[in-house]
Amino acid sequence: MTQQRFIFPRWTNLALPLIAVVGATAPLYVAVVVAYGFSPQSTDVGYMPEQPIPFSHRVHAGELGIDCRYCHNTVEHTAHAAVPPTETCMNCHSQIHPESENLQPLFESYETGMPIEWVRVHDLPQYAYFNHSAHVTRGVSCVECHGRVDTMEVVYQHETLSMGWCLNCHRNPDPHVRNPSLVTQLEWGLDMSAADRIADSASWRSFNNLNPSQDCSTCHR
Amino acid sequence: MTTIPVNTGEDPRQRPQLILHHSDFGSVTNAILRGNESPKPPKSWYFALAISFSLMSMLGAMIGYLIFTGVGVWGNNNPVAWGYPIVNFVFWVGIGHAGTLISAILFLFRQKWRTAINRFAEAMTIFAVICAGTFPGIHIGRVWLAYWLFPIPNQMDMWPQFRSPLLWDVFAVGTYFTVSLLFWYLGMIPDLATMRDRTTTKVKAIAYGLLSLGWRGSMRHWHRYERAYLLLAALATPLVLSVHSVVSFDFAVAQLPGWHTTIFPPYFVAGAIFSGFAMVMTLAIPARELWGLKDFITMRHLENMCKVILLTGSMVGYAYSMEFFIAWYSGEIYESFAFVNRAFGPYAWAYWIMVSCNVITPQIFWFKKARNSIAIMFAASLLVNVGMWFERFVIVVTSLANDFLPSSWGMYEPTWVDVATFLGSFGLFMTFFLLFIRYLPVLAIAEIKGIMPQADPHGHGHSYYEMEGETAASAKAAEDDE
Amino acid sequence: MSSVNGLNTDNERKWWRSLDEAVSPNEVHSNEMDEFPEGSGELLTTGDDRRHFLKIMGASMALAGLGLSGCRRWPKEHIVPYAHRPEGTMPGIPEHYASCFEFEGTAQGVLVTSNDGRPTKIEGNPMHPDSKGASDAFTQAEILDLYDPDRSKKVTYGGDDSSVNSFKEWTSSYLPDKGKGIAVIVSPSSSPTFHRMRRAFMKKNPQALWVEYAPLANTNERKALLHAFGGNWVPVYDFSQATTILSLDADFLGAGPLQVPNTRGWAEGRKVDNGTMSRLWMVESGLSVTGSKADERQAMRPADILALLQDEQISLNGAGSLTDEQVQWVEKMKVDLNQAGNHVLVIAGASQPPIVHYLTARLNELFGSVGTTVSYRQVDDGSNATIEDSVAGMKDGSIKGAIIIDGNPAYDAPSELDFATALNALPISVHLSYYNNETSQACKWHLNKSHWLESWSDGRSANGTTCIGQPLIEPLFGGLSPAEFLAILAGEEITDSHTLVRTTFNPKADKWNPSWRTAIHDGVVANTATLEAPPVNRKMMPDSTVAAERGMSVVFTPSAAVWDGRFANNGWMQELPDTITKLTWDNAALLSPATAEQLGVAQGDMLQIAVGSNNIQIAALPVPGTADDCFILPLGYGRKFEGRVCSGAGVDVNPLRSTKHRWTATATVSATGETYKLATTQMHFGVNTTPGKGTQERLPLLYREGTLEQYNADHGFPQHVGHVPHSLSIYEERQFEGAQYKWGMSIDLSTCTGCNACVAACHAENNIPIVGKDQVLMGREMHWLRIDRYFAFESDGHGGYDGNKLTSVAIQPLTCHHCENAPCEEVCPVAATVHDIDGLNVMVYNRCVGTRYCSNNCPFKVRRFNYFDYFRRDPLRSTGMLQVQPDYYVKAQSGGKTLRAMQFNPEVTVRMRGVMEKCTYCTQRIQRVKIATKNAWVKKSDAQKAADPRVAIADGAIVTACEQACPAGAIVFGDLMDTKSRVSTLHAEQRSYEMLEELNLKARTKYLARLTNPIDGATAPAGGSHS
Repeated sequence: MTQQRFIFPRWTNLALPLIAVVGATAPLYVAVVVAYGFSPQSTDVGYMPEQPIPFSHRVHAGELGIDCRYCHNTVEHTAHAAVPPTETCMNCHSQIHPESENLQPLFESYETGMPIEWVRVHDLPQYAYFNHSAHVTRGVSCVECHGRVDTMEVVYQHETLSMGWCLNCHRNPDPHVRNPSLVTQLEWGLDMSAADRIADSASWRSFNNLNPSQDCSTCHR
Repeated sequence: MTTIPVNTGEDPRQRPQLILHHSDFGSVTNAILRGNESPKPPKSWYFALAISFSLMSMLGAMIGYLIFTGVGVWGNNNPVAWGYPIVNFVFWVGIGHAGTLISAILFLFRQKWRTAINRFAEAMTIFAVICAGTFPGIHIGRVWLAYWLFPIPNQMDMWPQFRSPLLWDVFAVGTYFTVSLLFWYLGMIPDLATMRDRTTTKVKAIAYGLLSLGWRGSMRHWHRYERAYLLLAALATPLVLSVHSVVSFDFAVAQLPGWHTTIFPPYFVAGAIFSGFAMVMTLAIPARELWGLKDFITMRHLENMCKVILLTGSMVGYAYSMEFFIAWYSGEIYESFAFVNRAFGPYAWAYWIMVSCNVITPQIFWFKKARNSIAIMFAASLLVNVGMWFERFVIVVTSLANDFLPSSWGMYEPTWVDVATFLGSFGLFMTFFLLFIRYLPVLAIAEIKGIMPQADPHGHGHSYYEMEGETAASAKAAEDDE
Repeated sequence: MSSVNGLNTDNERKWWRSLDEAVSPNEVHSNEMDEFPEGSGELLTTGDDRRHFLKIMGASMALAGLGLSGCRRWPKEHIVPYAHRPEGTMPGIPEHYASCFEFEGTAQGVLVTSNDGRPTKIEGNPMHPDSKGASDAFTQAEILDLYDPDRSKKVTYGGDDSSVNSFKEWTSSYLPDKGKGIAVIVSPSSSPTFHRMRRAFMKKNPQALWVEYAPLANTNERKALLHAFGGNWVPVYDFSQATTILSLDADFLGAGPLQVPNTRGWAEGRKVDNGTMSRLWMVESGLSVTGSKADERQAMRPADILALLQDEQISLNGAGSLTDEQVQWVEKMKVDLNQAGNHVLVIAGASQPPIVHYLTARLNELFGSVGTTVSYRQVDDGSNATIEDSVAGMKDGSIKGAIIIDGNPAYDAPSELDFATALNALPISVHLSYYNNETSQACKWHLNKSHWLESWSDGRSANGTTCIGQPLIEPLFGGLSPAEFLAILAGEEITDSHTLVRTTFNPKADKWNPSWRTAIHDGVVANTATLEAPPVNRKMMPDSTVAAERGMSVVFTPSAAVWDGRFANNGWMQELPDTITKLTWDNAALLSPATAEQLGVAQGDMLQIAVGSNNIQIAALPVPGTADDCFILPLGYGRKFEGRVCSGAGVDVNPLRSTKHRWTATATVSATGETYKLATTQMHFGVNTTPGKGTQERLPLLYREGTLEQYNADHGFPQHVGHVPHSLSIYEERQFEGAQYKWGMSIDLSTCTGCNACVAACHAENNIPIVGKDQVLMGREMHWLRIDRYFAFESDGHGGYDGNKLTSVAIQPLTCHHCENAPCEEVCPVAATVHDIDGLNVMVYNRCVGTRYCSNNCPFKVRRFNYFDYFRRDPLRSTGMLQVQPDYYVKAQSGGKTLRAMQFNPEVTVRMRGVMEKCTYCTQRIQRVKIATKNAWVKKSDAQKAADPRVAIADGAIVTACEQACPAGAIVFGDLMDTKSRVSTLHAEQRSYEMLEELNLKARTKYLARLTNPIDGATAPAGGSHS
């Protein structure tokens, strides 16, 4: 009357190594996928929204070699590297390409006094208070966080801007510092050897007695 | 011819029977598995399950509401930032203690009587710890970030703060749960195999077959099994002490008057065992009626448990008085006020409920009559459970409500959500337990057989004494059951 | 709705230019990302207005929202730069503009912070003679009123929408010729422009009645001084000069238009120099803020206070009802006054009858104090009738129309007038008001008044100095200022406030006029004080005999939270715990414990109080130090106006108030048997918790005080109060190696009056939510900075304490002490609260998961937990199951939420639910200055760098919000590493002690023990023990 008892048949022994392997690797696999998949590395880097005006940093900053601070002129004084007012663009564009199709929104804004609504690319969470002036005046170049903007046709996010990423630099400022007067020279130092670069960096650090803080209160309020 | 007394006390040479009315292994198996193998469980089982299940669903609803709305739906406030959830957490963890104690420590001490109760005591442990684990999880303000309590590498380059007792808790309770679970499961394997062999339906056959990991009862199986069991017991023993010590650190490490006490670890462990045994008793008494296990959970078992309760209850009582003495002896105004306030302040009622349930009630077990009356011990075990819950309430709430600065004193009142959540946790617990007694071997069949005289390799048939003993004992048991 | 209707467009342009001119040069440079809370872009509803709004705002907007949303890729955000960035502005740098706000006829000088066009914070104007940079709670809270979603947003006629233009037409056609039968009822104003317009109006309408009415106006004093000097005089006190002060029921340190100058002056007098300090004698019925700081205090029934001052000798004629103890006390007081020579200051409260005010003036003269402690000035007052006359006219039909400017007489006019009914009956009635309140309801016309931050204004400060008030933002909903409104009535052709005010300033000045621009920039016009010492008329006042009433008496007082009701819809004020009672969201009948016992009532039991035929029901709240048989009734509650904050708060006591009994009346009182929940932020006054023990024993340890004599004998007396065991930390204590700064704070208990300015300032600076009455009842209020209040009692001889024998009132501001061995940090499992190198105990909201363990382990219980998303929650009592306001799920158009969000300080994260928060020593202000200093340092020459390796920050460069607001200068913040800083010297003082030192916390905040100056130096400070 009782069922014939269920005992693992011999073939199941073959399954054992398989189970062992899967059991060992699966969690690892999941962990890696999740960790990477949700990290800013994959969610944020490369974010390249379309802007109301197809403004080319490659042309302006790269080919024409306009200094970053010509437009982002508050960067040395405030937390915020303000996007320039329409007026700034019009300084040139009242003469250059005055009839361009692409620039219509610009002209309209100039007429009506209504702002152009640019799309924010580098977007920190609101509880993180980054301060441009504190970095730029101490010789941290734009390129350290924004990448070679002077080569970007359309600006995109180049770094993760994650907390860990910030800390990397705050824990080891070399080789991320340079002569404060060179901060907008994005291509500077690329041809140097790593050793020289670090040496230069270190010298400027000691010169400005620069010891980046790792306190929470530095960025969070 | 002399009749041999049943009670050990009077003739140490004699041990009374642990199993009554069963002279062969087969009948033991039948008796224990009757509940599982009967095609339909009794009505009362369905009834109980219905109630527990609806309570459990209520718990789910409350948690959903809580997470959607905010911790504010509870009564917690500014001085009393921890209310019901932490009280319940400590309460359940405490309950979860007896299981491992019985299986591990009594096993190492070769206490044979444990076999009758260890299986469902362990089950109870598992379920209680699950209930306990729920509360710290949901009581934090931003539940969705609970994983920050675990040391997981992350993009913030942040680790948890290892000085915090809460973090120690995470590890302590986690470990305890894992080990208890293993221990419980390992012990069940031979019995699962038995069920597999006796079951009548294919599904069950396969289910139990998988669970029993292909157990065939060969000599080698038994050998490995016993080794593993012994090792786990050794492993689990320190945990029994560690878990609740760590839980007590949540309070002892803080510097709040009424929390900041060195006596807490031993006092909490004693209290935990106390409440654990009380709960085992609360479950065992109905279970043996319902599942007809009187032959295995005999009056002697219950009596032993009464003794443990009496002992631990007195230890707890000692701790209470010692707290007071030290508070007075320290001459520290905040400390001494905290305790005066407990006994005579706004929460005095809770304090006196606690004292009368935990200290006074167990004293009744000095009397053999009480130790042998089902009614009394059941009532007592319930009271002890109540008392132990209030102990945690007193410790958590009264200390917080009146601490250093009178300006920030405040009263704590639970909301309906608090109460519903607490009741819900009982639903969770009971649901698990009811399913357990229906679908898993409720007693450790193999171990019980192991302590039967027939299992004694030296005993050829039955000795005169044992015959006598058995009849005498069974006679005794018979009149007990009236 | 449309916000431009109110102004002609060219005025709008002027307004902008002049604002640009006015950029304050001493602006602080902030270094913050300027961000904007959720949806504030949608502030104004129609697209048209949004454009208009953006024009005002310019600047980039990162929609901050409830700043803790954790997960990425969050919604697409826009950067909205100016099209034309105003000269001198820099997005993200807050600018500061001087302005002035008139309160009860006195101009409060303020300095307003503007973040990218949003006014966000109001401070005192350092150049203003009264505020000198300090401010009071009302001033702080005004910023919230600007963004009150319940403010009136449109002009209505008979309930239907209308416009200013149609009102203009109406005035020209319907106002009777020469103003016959018109009564103009205005709140007292010191504004020169206002009075210029008044004259213009009266010139055209000579027959109109002009009534200046305010429910709390000190008319008795005015009457007395009219008799004494002739003319409209007000006294101006200088408490810093006074060595002996006698206050007859005058709560001069309490809430009011002169609180700031009075408190500063008094605090100066409390500084111990060569062993002396001023002494304050106080006689009053209820326990007031001033009373709690008095050195010698007697609680007396109003009748007995009258009896005190019957002639110039302070003799005790007719003072039959005084106890012997009190009589001796008065004798001592007289001796003390006579010793003080011309440094005596006698002051009488508004509740006192004219005769007392007259005698007060005489005494000050006799003591020769006029010129030293007291001086006078004349005020502009055009009244040619009283409110009683006008109502009488309405009733007999001689008055056909009422034009009411500001104020709310329908709510607070003397009850016997039944003003509302009379007003309703009129064919013509106009009300200019900030809210569509009780009076507006009764009027045909309602015009919405613009906020003072939205229009130009002027006024006179306490000593008569002229102040100019400039707007900081385009009127959000149109609206007129009182002056503009009057100008329209007077039929002026120029009616924009800017031109009006400038013309008053100097008719010939155009807007480029340098002196005008200086005036705008400073906010005050230098050397325009108008102090005089008038000759005194010796004749006693005719009605010199005062019928002193006996028996149970009610005493009306202004509410420190809502004043006469004008701040009733301001959440910060409603939730501001009263200094003495700690009561929020309600008023209650305050009575002495003895009287409570007699009536058999306890806190929250309802009383029926009847004066004549009128009666009200109000909850009882026993307060020690109240005179027996007295019931103190704060005004301003029980509004009928359906504001989302004020509706349902408290009880209207105006029905008991009448012309004859404006301040006190005999009443019959009985307990109704019902009870009512009073939301106090501190438990009952502690006599009855665990036989009075617990509180009283530890009080001397927590709140250390002594007499001047003790102090002179031993400066270090506070050190010997408690025994401090030497304890060790189980963890290695942090040494802060390499720290550049060491922040610390010192709070002087001697001068702190508990005026609540700091609490309100903290609220405004740190985006602290209000939680509503139900949550306060649960003990969940969010104040980072709270003010503890304890009563010290005499022992009753057998173990307990006698709740009727008040020996001292302890007022103790408490906030995070930033302990170096912070107990909260040890226990946080996720390291969400940690120390930074400068010694700040920082709370990292975005790391907090909300275990609340830190709060449990904080001995000061200063940590606050967000049990709900309080900014999404309706401050009303009932919040429903989901605990969020109904419009929360509606898109931002719902107005309220977004309007509120405009006040947020962009430099402080807005906390979401489930996180802990607490005082940060205003870390955002510290960061701002630190970064600026370091940026400047980098640019220095090597030599300069070598000279200053620490990059030191000048003492006083960083000011916390509470410190900045404090009128007493009791709070000092600074760098302890700089041994010369004020805070270092204060910490070094022997009077300075650390609270709960025995816990080895190493707190960075220390208290200076309180000093009192009772007449019998040896004895403990005298309190309100009374018959």
